[in-house]
Amino acid sequence: MDQSIKPDLVINGVSSAWGGEYGKVKIDGVGTVQSNISSVTFDANGMTKIKGDLISEELDSDGLMKVEGHLSAGKSIIDGHMTVKGSLRGEQLKLNGVLNVGGDCEIEVFDAEGAFVVKGLLNAGRMNVRLHGRGKAREIGVEFIQVRQASKSAWSRLWRWMLPKFTPELHAVAIEGDDIDLEYTEADVVRGNRVIIGKGCNIGKVEYRSELKVHPSAKVGKGVKTGG
Amino acid sequence: MERDLISKKELLDEKGISYGQLYRWKRKQLIPEEWFIRKSTFTGQETFFPKDLILARIDKIMNMKDDLSLDELAGKLSPLLPDYEMRKIDLMKRNIVSSVVLQRFASGDSDKVVYSFEFLLYFYVVDKLLQAGEMSMEEGEQLLQTMREHFPKFNGKPCDLVFIRKMGVSSFALISVPAEFYFESGVKLIARLSVTECIEQLKGKLV
Repeated sequence: MDQSIKPDLVINGVSSAWGGEYGKVKIDGVGTVQSNISSVTFDANGMTKIKGDLISEELDSDGLMKVEGHLSAGKSIIDGHMTVKGSLRGEQLKLNGVLNVGGDCEIEVFDAEGAFVVKGLLNAGRMNVRLHGRGKAREIGVEFIQVRQASKSAWSRLWRWMLPKFTPELHAVAIEGDDIDLEYTEADVVRGNRVIIGKGCNIGKVEYRSELKVHPSAKVGKGVKTGG
Repeated sequence: MERDLISKKELLDEKGISYGQLYRWKRKQLIPEEWFIRKSTFTGQETFFPKDLILARIDKIMNMKDDLSLDELAGKLSPLLPDYEMRKIDLMKRNIVSSVVLQRFASGDSDKVVYSFEFLLYFYVVDKLLQAGEMSMEEGEQLLQTMREHFPKFNGKPCDLVFIRKMGVSSFALISVPAEFYFESGVKLIARLSVTECIEQLKGKLV
């Protein structure tokens, strides 16, 4: 058999499969992959569980997805809930929903709408966040970051009232980057070249090189200019 | 031995690079994960780096990034070959390679010439075989040539050096491992050396 032609994997309904190398993977319904899997495209709708690593050039996930190992995807669109126990690596990631990463997260272009938790370092080239719930990362290192709160609807207010976890705020120990533009963020330290601290922020210390703008309603413990 | 460390802030100031660049290089795997050492200080958590390694690596990246894309650069900085470099004079001082070898094979280079790790490895292998008394000086030259020409082709993959002789004529080969090979009768296998092991030994000597 020609090695360059890889088989496809299709799951409809409730089923499980072994991992391996595939061309296209399509899972509709409840699908479990028992080991590491790599594919060219990975399309999941419904509930998907991967008991290993997932490597794919393209990933489209709608619904609930859980990866117990590491996830590496060139371009991914995640709608719904995604949990990665290991690390997450990718070129482009568009998130609509909730993302949970146990390890580090490295993405070139990260567009997030919703909420996320990254236990390790969140390292991104460009990062645009519109928070509906809480965003949390131990450390954030970026070239560019913009954090905004999504428009408040009656529903979101209800959610927040029921579960404080859904307060649309970003929490991090440290945020470091070149261009930093924050709103509704709580952090111990923010370090960057150009830093804009917008409304609703509570920052312990800001270290900046060229520029610092602070919104009147924001709380900044200390602003220090560093470097040349 | 306690390594000399440099904090992230000092590093950025000293090299004039930005946080974005540093994180970008990390994403491209130009800077290995293990070099990010997290320590708590009185100002909270801070990240430190092994000073000599990171400074050398950043110089290298800054020098090469104009000519190469970052992805190409990542390929150049093979993680298996560490980034140690050494001047010829230090090489002699620390007696990593015997002076006989340096005199014979590197007499043309001035004392200030900086050798890359690969070159140090070649000298080391030659020295090892010479010291074992298995190889003559002329053959050493031949070996150096072979290593220089073919070792980079392995691209960090493990390989073995095979040294054979038949009726007084010697030859060298680099083979990827694991491999089995059999010779015609009359060929004498003089030495088989794991280059990976040599790398480890040499690393141990340099640190």
